[in-house]
Amino acid sequence: MDRTAVINKLTGIFRKVFEDNSLVLTDEMTANDVEQWVSLTHMLLITEIETDFAITLKLKDLNKMHTVGDMINIILSKFETQ
Amino acid sequence: MIFTSFNFLLFFPATVIIYYLTPVKFRWLTLLFASYFFYICTKPVFALLLAGVTLSTYIFTRLIDSTSIERRKKLLMQINVCLILFPLFFFKYFSGINYAILVFLESIHVRLDLPDIKLILPIGISFYTFMAIGYTVDVYNEKIRSEKNLGMVALFISFFPLVLSGPIERAKNMLPQFNAIKPANYEMIVQGLKLMLWGYFMKLVVADRLGIYIDAVYGHVSQHNGTSLLFASILYPFQEYADFGGYSIIAIGTANVLGINVIQNFKRPFFATSMSEFWRRWHISLISWLTDYVFTPLSFTFRKYKTWGIVIALMITFFLSGLWHGPALTFIVWGLIQGILLSIEALTNRKRAGFEKKHNLNRKGWYIFAGICVTFILFSASEVIDRATSINEAYHVFHRIIATRGTLFIGTPSTLIFSGIGLTMLLLKDFFDEFLPSRMLLFGSKHKFVRIMAYSSIIILILLIGVFDGGQFIYFQF
Repeated sequence: MDRTAVINKLTGIFRKVFEDNSLVLTDEMTANDVEQWVSLTHMLLITEIETDFAITLKLKDLNKMHTVGDMINIILSKFETQ
Repeated sequence: MIFTSFNFLLFFPATVIIYYLTPVKFRWLTLLFASYFFYICTKPVFALLLAGVTLSTYIFTRLIDSTSIERRKKLLMQINVCLILFPLFFFKYFSGINYAILVFLESIHVRLDLPDIKLILPIGISFYTFMAIGYTVDVYNEKIRSEKNLGMVALFISFFPLVLSGPIERAKNMLPQFNAIKPANYEMIVQGLKLMLWGYFMKLVVADRLGIYIDAVYGHVSQHNGTSLLFASILYPFQEYADFGGYSIIAIGTANVLGINVIQNFKRPFFATSMSEFWRRWHISLISWLTDYVFTPLSFTFRKYKTWGIVIALMITFFLSGLWHGPALTFIVWGLIQGILLSIEALTNRKRAGFEKKHNLNRKGWYIFAGICVTFILFSASEVIDRATSINEAYHVFHRIIATRGTLFIGTPSTLIFSGIGLTMLLLKDFFDEFLPSRMLLFGSKHKFVRIMAYSSIIILILLIGVFDGGQFIYFQF
């Protein structure tokens, strides 16, 4: 899966979790930039990412996700190791 | 040695002078010696425990960094966390467990000659243990490389402004500062001294004065009516804030005088409009520590349960937070109440936020005021359980508040008058900092005369109405 495909799929997940169809992802985006991005929605995001991308994330991955860009890179790294 | 002791008044200026006379390259060593001297002055033998936690953390973090095998890294991290948690667990809970066993055996008519052991809790053990655990986990999570210099690790864990009661700092913030100590910065020193002054005001004028009244009422619950108990229960959160918030500001100011930046521990908590916001403003360093090292791993573990996974993680985190306060049922119930309140907010958050947005409520003064009041009522009600010596006593307090009325207990009138003056000043400062940050400046005024008058009045108030025999800070017991 390439970066564009990951971004497209991730955008769908974000829009579903945050119930906002106008959300546009950027690499620099953080929890501070999205209304309602709190601990609960963060974990919902993680479970949706694991289900939709059919990957398993580790706690260490979670600790490295500071921005949406980090999130995309971690998802891509999972496909590289598969 | 505590911040309000006469010894600290001698120790701190002497340390500052020696520190700034030491060549910049060796200043960290001065800080290390000063920190161990400070801790040894409290109880010499406990410094061995501090050194043991340091040595164990140093060895294991170096080992974690030296291996690339994930399973081995994890095992090393877990061993060190268990090793350094053991003394905390032993000193904090052994007496309680021993007593519980004795009571249980007596209840089933088994009489054993087990001694009723009472251990003295090494001061600051919770705080420096949490800092050491945080550092170990951060090295394991590759957030930070392990420090090669044992002295730097020792300084991080024993740094005297923080060792007794925090703020619970992170290695990522402190180690780079210790490794690159900067030359004296006049503005930072002055800022630190100003913070210390305000911290002493909070502690000596507000907290210890309020404490006299609250102790008089809560010390004899059965002799006071509901009016007095309600009044004391309303005042208690303010006493805690002035006590621990004051301590934290003195600690941050002390570090600032030495050129070290430390995280904020309280951010005007009584202006929070929800419990979740309250816990982002109260004892920030502990809550952020619990979030990173307890709540996040738990919520990740339970993520397949989605919303309920968050609820389980919240309940366990605050149960542990209650247990951290001490092995008493009151603290556990207190923790569970916080967990329940936060879970309710988490479950209703989305709908509430949508409703608030639709009606533009977050910009309406009455709605903000109502949120502040409800949050305060919920917190102060839960603090009745925290302040009471037993669940039974907490029940009696609530019962008497509801069932009995009468004249308010005044005690010594000056106690309430002086408390009122101090508390009004504290809350007014917080109010202006919260809602009018650049309009009403006294301490940060651009006019030197206004600044001098503001700080002089604080010094005069401390000398005139400060309580100088108020004893220890509330949080030292934890």
